[in-house]
Amino acid sequence: MAAQAQEPTSRAEAIEKERDRKAAELRPETLSRAEQTLRDIQDKKLLERFSYGYNGLRAAIGNMATGSGFAIGPEFNREDLLRGHLTTRITALVSTRRWQKYESEIGLPRLANGQLTLGFHALHRNYSSVDYYGPGPDSGKGGRSTYRFEDTRVSAGGGWRPVRLVRLAARSGYVWTNVGPGDRKGAISTDRLFTERTLPGIERQTNFTENSASFQLDWRDDPAGPKTGGNYVIQQTWYSDRRFSRYGFRRLDLDVQQYVGFFNKTRRLAFRAKAALTDAGGGQTVPFYMQPAIGGADDLRGFRPYRFSGPNAMSLTGEYRWEIFSGMDGALFADAGKVFPRRGQLNFSNLESSVGFGLRANARNRTFLRIDVGFSHEGFAVFVKFNDVFQPRPFGVSQIPLGY
Amino acid sequence: MRRAFVALLLAAALPGAPPRFYDDDPLLAEPPPRDASQAQRRKLSDYYDFFHHLLATPGEKGPSPAQAVNTLGDPMDGAWYERRHYWKRMSIEELQRGPIRVGPPSRAARWRVVGVKNEGVTPGFQIRDAENRLYFVKFDPLCCAEMATAADQIANKLFYALGYHVPENHIVYFTRDDLEVAQGVQMEDALGRKRVVTSRDITEILLKVPRDSQGRYRATASLALPGKPLGPYRYYGTRSDDPNDTVPHEHRRDLRALHVASAWVDHDDSRAINTLDILVEQRGVKFIRHYQLDLGSTLGSASTKINSARSGGEYLFAWKPAAVQFVTFGLAVPYWAKAYYPNLPSVGRFEAKVFDPDKWVPEYPNPAFRNRLPDDEFWMAKQIVNLTDEEIRAIVRSGQLSDRRAEEYLADCLIERRNKIGRAAFHKVLPLDRFRFEGGALKWTDLAAQHGYGGVGAVDVLWHRFDNAAGKAEPAGALDPDWSRGYWMAVLSARARPGQRIRVYVRGGAEPRVVGVDHEWPNRVR
Repeated sequence: MAAQAQEPTSRAEAIEKERDRKAAELRPETLSRAEQTLRDIQDKKLLERFSYGYNGLRAAIGNMATGSGFAIGPEFNREDLLRGHLTTRITALVSTRRWQKYESEIGLPRLANGQLTLGFHALHRNYSSVDYYGPGPDSGKGGRSTYRFEDTRVSAGGGWRPVRLVRLAARSGYVWTNVGPGDRKGAISTDRLFTERTLPGIERQTNFTENSASFQLDWRDDPAGPKTGGNYVIQQTWYSDRRFSRYGFRRLDLDVQQYVGFFNKTRRLAFRAKAALTDAGGGQTVPFYMQPAIGGADDLRGFRPYRFSGPNAMSLTGEYRWEIFSGMDGALFADAGKVFPRRGQLNFSNLESSVGFGLRANARNRTFLRIDVGFSHEGFAVFVKFNDVFQPRPFGVSQIPLGY
Repeated sequence: MRRAFVALLLAAALPGAPPRFYDDDPLLAEPPPRDASQAQRRKLSDYYDFFHHLLATPGEKGPSPAQAVNTLGDPMDGAWYERRHYWKRMSIEELQRGPIRVGPPSRAARWRVVGVKNEGVTPGFQIRDAENRLYFVKFDPLCCAEMATAADQIANKLFYALGYHVPENHIVYFTRDDLEVAQGVQMEDALGRKRVVTSRDITEILLKVPRDSQGRYRATASLALPGKPLGPYRYYGTRSDDPNDTVPHEHRRDLRALHVASAWVDHDDSRAINTLDILVEQRGVKFIRHYQLDLGSTLGSASTKINSARSGGEYLFAWKPAAVQFVTFGLAVPYWAKAYYPNLPSVGRFEAKVFDPDKWVPEYPNPAFRNRLPDDEFWMAKQIVNLTDEEIRAIVRSGQLSDRRAEEYLADCLIERRNKIGRAAFHKVLPLDRFRFEGGALKWTDLAAQHGYGGVGAVDVLWHRFDNAAGKAEPAGALDPDWSRGYWMAVLSARARPGQRIRVYVRGGAEPRVVGVDHEWPNRVR
């Protein structure tokens, strides 16, 4: 009877009884340890602080050069000076193959309401074992040698955006170069295979003044992770030999990117055509270490890095990319390219080719990690990179040799 | 199924088992709330919420009937929900007004900026007006003037009409001169470092905001909710510090059925972060009221950018679809990727042609949505289809879109999506509702027929005597029910809908009354 007496006699009473039960067990809301930790990471902006570093001092990862191995080092990066009107970045990177790269930039990116930019750039690289397979398109895979490449560059320049899609830029600077014996185990040093006569620049290196002018038309929907639109760049650079008056040359770079998105941009076709054409003229010659090279993570991906090197180079890349899920894209690609001795040979004959597939991890529409596997008649190559395959080069910066 | 049936019988036969209906059924409002003043504010982690729901499956699972409902199957008026448009038709003006009771920020003086959010792509302010009322001010992204503010306004009004608690939001226009910085206001930079806000900060923040042809900024001004904010609620479990929160949220009908409302307006951001518990005081009692917030990421808007085509079509990540895409190299094109979106920047990506209410999902799994059953869907669908074309167009007008084409397109999409929702939900259960006792007979409305989705045709009614204490029904045979006393149960079925039935319970008396409604459908587990 007592039990029955406690039974509710109305719906409201039944609800109240439930509340009674709950009221007897009330306790403060608590979060699991995992949730607390994640909340604190978010609240205290630990990821942002890690990314920003201590007063701008942070770890830089990757972004050295194809073939360098995994690179890491300290970086001082401030984009908030003078309320964002002054930026500065100083980086020191060392890779697992003991390559070194030191770089410094100071920029004024928001002059004239963002229409005008000015910047200063300094760079020192010491790459101890750059692969070299011999000059021209007929080099063999077995002819690999290595050399040490060192250069120091300083330059200053500016960019002007007269209208939204167009940018003009000019830059002037000075380049010190040095080449030495490569130090990779099991690989012969390039200077033991070639002489100055067969490979200009192997014995004597020089200093250059470097002046460039460029034009860019960019109508990509999102330059950091484009899905539609195009980006077209043409740049002319004049290198003048300041020591021997023997290695001066001009270099013309063309870079055409086109993106076609379909099925609401969940699938894309991405195309890139690149060409680097040099012209020494007047009894001068282009030193081998300043010649464009193809092969590696960004163009002929079925070949080893710097597999082909010559006075002129062109490459064509086509990718089909599709969304696997919102943070991951797949890619099927085909690459073609060649190096050639004369500008007149800029055509589609005698192209080397490779095909492959890849995965790209994205965050906020930016690729932060990609894995590409390329296949060619010379075998296959796997590349793990922390950038987009068509990574935009800091615009207005000189076209730095070693790939292009 | 058989085991559940036996359990029910046993429960009914046990001495002291509660009756099926109490005298106060159906309860239309929750009993007055208990004091919950001891509840404390707590902040959840967005990251945790994301990973926890994506990789685990929190909350009780299983096809159990929805709770927090009265015997008619309707959530009761209270801290979570209020029966509005479906039960008492609101006028066009009431629909357009929605939750507005106070009004937009006063223009009697410049608005004082008392808080600044300058992180991320879209900034925001907190302002106090001449009457010291606090508003949260949010903007459209640069790409798409009017998009997020219109979406917020429209979805806010729709959710209000559907019964949810939402804040009072206004679209406001202002110039830089209408703002001044209150003294000593601090802001956090991207790294969480605090510093005093200057007038120049405001100017720079407004550079990220689109302006209209008259040079004005357009924003949503959301009146701060009265009471003490306690943080978001989860879509599973209960608050351990709230005596009134007794039903696990994943079993609440109002939250399960929110799936249908969210599908309608593409509220793919329907997760804890966009809800808020507020400790309010009424008649001297402090209790928690539960709000839906931040509806700027609805319709074609993702708040800070145009909505992704993926929105509503698939979770951000799920093993199976990802595996299919991976192995087919993307040749298996998902249905949502084939949608066509007109170029209307103030709309973003919103459409109705490929929209499928049964396939719609939020960005990541929601425990309450996952537990929804056909009767949960029916309950929300009947409210949605109750909004007429004219009413929907009127609510869309409250979004104040300057492009008439955009306004028309949005309304057309909402109307078409509404009809798809109605057809889908009314197909799963017998779409009969508004049961009433008139002229000595049980009457109802065939909602499918009423809204032009094709009625169910002839309905058979089989009356039973119902033993309320024992919970047992016995066919009445050829006898006409004696309405003067006892309980009666009608089993409604239609030949066109095999397996679908509705049990309608009537309490006899001087004024017989419908006291219970229960839908059945094939494979229902009771």
